[in-house]
Amino acid sequence: MSRLRKYKPFARASAIDVMAYRFNIITWAIVTVAEVACLIFLWLAVYQSSEGGIDSSINGFTYKEMIVYVVLTTIFGFVTFNDDTVWFINRDIRQGTIGNFLIKPISYRGKFIASNIGAFLMMSLVFGIPLYAAGLGVLIGIGYLPVASIWDFIAHFLLFLVASVLACLLNGAISYIFGILCFYTTAAWGLNALKTTVIAFLSGTLLPIAFFPNIFREIVSYMPFAGMSQNPILILMMKYDYLECGKVILISFGWWVLLELIGKLLFNHAIKIVTVQGG
Amino acid sequence: MSVCCFVVDDFQYFQDEGHTTTKEPSTRDASFFCLARCGTIRNDTKGILNMIQVQNLSKIFRKPIRGKGLVGMLATLFSRKYTEIRAVDDVSFDIMEGEIVGYIGSNGAGKSTTIKMMCGILTPTSGKVLIDDKEPYLKRRIVAKDIGVVFGQKSQLWWDIPLIESFKVLKEVYQVSDSDYEERIQFLSSVLGVDEFMNQPVRTLSLGQRMRADLAASMLHNPKILFLDEPTIGMDVLVKDKIRTAIHALNAKYHTTVVLTTHDMADIENLCSRIIMIEKGKIIYDGPLGNIKRRFGNIKTLTLTIPPSVDPNEVKPFSEDVMMELDEDHKDKVMLKFDADKVVLEHIIQYSFSQYHAIDMKITDISIEDVVKKILAQQEEEHE
Repeated sequence: MSRLRKYKPFARASAIDVMAYRFNIITWAIVTVAEVACLIFLWLAVYQSSEGGIDSSINGFTYKEMIVYVVLTTIFGFVTFNDDTVWFINRDIRQGTIGNFLIKPISYRGKFIASNIGAFLMMSLVFGIPLYAAGLGVLIGIGYLPVASIWDFIAHFLLFLVASVLACLLNGAISYIFGILCFYTTAAWGLNALKTTVIAFLSGTLLPIAFFPNIFREIVSYMPFAGMSQNPILILMMKYDYLECGKVILISFGWWVLLELIGKLLFNHAIKIVTVQGG
Repeated sequence: MSVCCFVVDDFQYFQDEGHTTTKEPSTRDASFFCLARCGTIRNDTKGILNMIQVQNLSKIFRKPIRGKGLVGMLATLFSRKYTEIRAVDDVSFDIMEGEIVGYIGSNGAGKSTTIKMMCGILTPTSGKVLIDDKEPYLKRRIVAKDIGVVFGQKSQLWWDIPLIESFKVLKEVYQVSDSDYEERIQFLSSVLGVDEFMNQPVRTLSLGQRMRADLAASMLHNPKILFLDEPTIGMDVLVKDKIRTAIHALNAKYHTTVVLTTHDMADIENLCSRIIMIEKGKIIYDGPLGNIKRRFGNIKTLTLTIPPSVDPNEVKPFSEDVMMELDEDHKDKVMLKFDADKVVLEHIIQYSFSQYHAIDMKITDISIEDVVKKILAQQEEEHE
């Protein structure tokens, strides 16, 4: 435990950072409400023009479920993925400040895990609680998200929290790997754009993975990205039974361990080639 | 009066008169580390540790050669040629616990590269570094607890938060106990005066304050070794003095081993019992400062500003011991180099005013660059 204590300042610092930028929620809210409205109308058009009309089910999603999915994914993305890991690593490399971390008795990755978790906790506390409360309240209230048993819902909600933490860690690990690639190239902007696009597409943020073609869908559902957005949301929507919940959480956990390992190997190679500027 | 002398490699190490050998030899004494280098004193005797061991250390940087213009740039996409730069070339030395060693050389000589390998930022191409018997680039986190590092040109403090908060972060990172922390803050406040600006954000500190703060930050966890890369760069005389006093105090109180690079000859004179001089990646001198002075004399440069009416070539330099140099770009400057032990300063100044009709004058000590030049020249002579 005492070994973890030295990472506390980094978690605290990023939590404080969240508070410093808390008014970002206003711009986020304006953009997001418009985006969600567009998506709602888009899906409305899709379902209305389908054979069974508005009440049909496409790839296992009814129109109502689709709306719930869109709303929850949007909140989830805002609360869970808020990291600038790639930018921080790129800056440390370009400005040579990476040396400051290499001479301290802390792990570089550990520092980022601490700040990701710190930011995640603060985001959950400040924005997560009110946004989920409002979102779920409305969706359940208007009957879009039917809750048969309150205990069933609470159990799924707790599993969702576990899946959220894993999603945050997975996102951090993938960002870290992309960040370490900045040792080899100066194209940080491109790397970050690539990362964002890949995650948005393969995690089911843009479109549930069920909508992908057959084989592709099978592959993607076993990739780490599914655990970063779609799976936590489907757990919360109670689309998974407990066995499936356990399965997707285990897969995510396995991927997280594997990605951390890859990140570590990559970092160990990268710092051998590091050439700190300035003599 | 006792003068003892040991011959090691090509150099002679003298011990000054008056310094009699005590029962527990101070590691600062030239004779002591000379003995250690001869192999008579080992790590296990008398509790004195070989704190840093550098063995055949080399670092080669590869730089891609870029062609000229757009065509050349495209060509490098397909075939890459590299030039190899040997920043550090087969360097070996040992540093004992409690020594203050000046690691000096001209710009780009390989000082910082060596320091960065010693603190684990860079991995050597070949050879190795042992810090208290551990290789820093392999056991980074373990070695990090034993070392403190200050890079004069780069602060490691958090820019936007008050200094005290940076210290608290470091306290947690290095897991310093409350009582140790209190004791150290008190000590560092007394020698560096950091308490004056403890509550200011680091970005509001002056350069001198920031350097004192950085030095204090690197000492919070009481490292065994302190690496200082140009700690006095850009400082005024008062701050330089404060920093030197602090380094002495740290060394005396905690027996901290200090390795510092500098371009300031005064730093070396005030602090270092031993200097290691590097040029083009190779060590060209390793020994006490006194020897260098003895070899090259107490060289000073008197720079005169003369009126245009005086032709310096027509004036005979003061004596045979005085070398005159002229600057092509500044016709009104004359530089007289002399050994202050052989030439009386007062006489040469009087002579300059009467013969050169000097308007202004400045006296400077020999610079590190000059010493390097002299050593290289002497080594070439020896080879011939």
